[in-house]
Amino acid sequence: MKLLDGLFDKLFEQQTRQLAQRSSRRGILKGLGGLLVGAGAIPLLPVARAAAAEAPGQPVEEGDPASCDYWRYCAIDGFLCSCCGGSENTCPPGTEMSPVTWIGTCRNPADGRNYVISYNDCCGKSSCGACLCQRDEGDRPAYRPDKTNDINWCLGTSSATYHCSTAIVVGVAFEGK
Amino acid sequence: MKTGLTILAMLLTTSAVAGELNLQRAQFNYQMSCQGCHAPDGSGANSVPRMLDHVGNFLVTQTGREYLVRVPGSAVSALDDAELAEVLNWIVVEFAGSSAKESFEPYSSQEVGRLRQQPLNEVVQYRAQLLADIASANMRE
Repeated sequence: MKLLDGLFDKLFEQQTRQLAQRSSRRGILKGLGGLLVGAGAIPLLPVARAAAAEAPGQPVEEGDPASCDYWRYCAIDGFLCSCCGGSENTCPPGTEMSPVTWIGTCRNPADGRNYVISYNDCCGKSSCGACLCQRDEGDRPAYRPDKTNDINWCLGTSSATYHCSTAIVVGVAFEGK
Repeated sequence: MKTGLTILAMLLTTSAVAGELNLQRAQFNYQMSCQGCHAPDGSGANSVPRMLDHVGNFLVTQTGREYLVRVPGSAVSALDDAELAEVLNWIVVEFAGSSAKESFEPYSSQEVGRLRQQPLNEVVQYRAQLLADIASANMRE
């Protein structure tokens, strides 16, 4: 038994020494670190994407925000900020987003649900001039001022000069009774 | 927030009298009919009156309570009486904040239907006078 123990000791020592000669401690740490980070990231990716899609107000989308037929633009009348240095959610640099806005609903073809869209205008620079888009679904005459897109919505901003329009998802439409 | 929750609990328990308070429906109707000017959190903008931490002040007097229904944004909105009552109750729950009062009798669709028959025209002057009256009513307490 003692002989066997000695043999194991010797074998183990030999293996350990060989391993130590072949590899550096940093190398092992690097490999181990890579394994840890990699193992963490691989299962997270699809899970994180699924979680983001289920969050309210963050619909799964399709289409090009720089194109007039993008689903959120169903009631828009103006220049698309996506073509003017901003995006469908943000104003181009040097302009200010109007806090006063007109609001409607659009159907998202990706999930078939209706979302509440806020068409905040970006103000403070002359008209962008690119990607004029006029779809006007649900637009009402001026006697229904909160539902008309024909007025200048640069209200509550330091300048009333219209530049372009955004289309921000602010909620999900209530479809019950 | 605590007062808001108390009011909410009260609204839910008195729903048989005041009509149902469906939070999702109320918020959607707020978004579609009010939020464009009053902002998502009721903070308003420049000349658009602030409701956040303020709307509860109007509930101190009967005239103030009626005012919230008679302002053009309420009275001539596209919402029907039940929807308008629900949105007003939701606004009080959601935005009154530090201005919330201990007791709030929720608006009913009948009350709203009656009051919106007399919409206000000179809102700015009327509001200024109303707030002055409310301030003196608070001083007397």
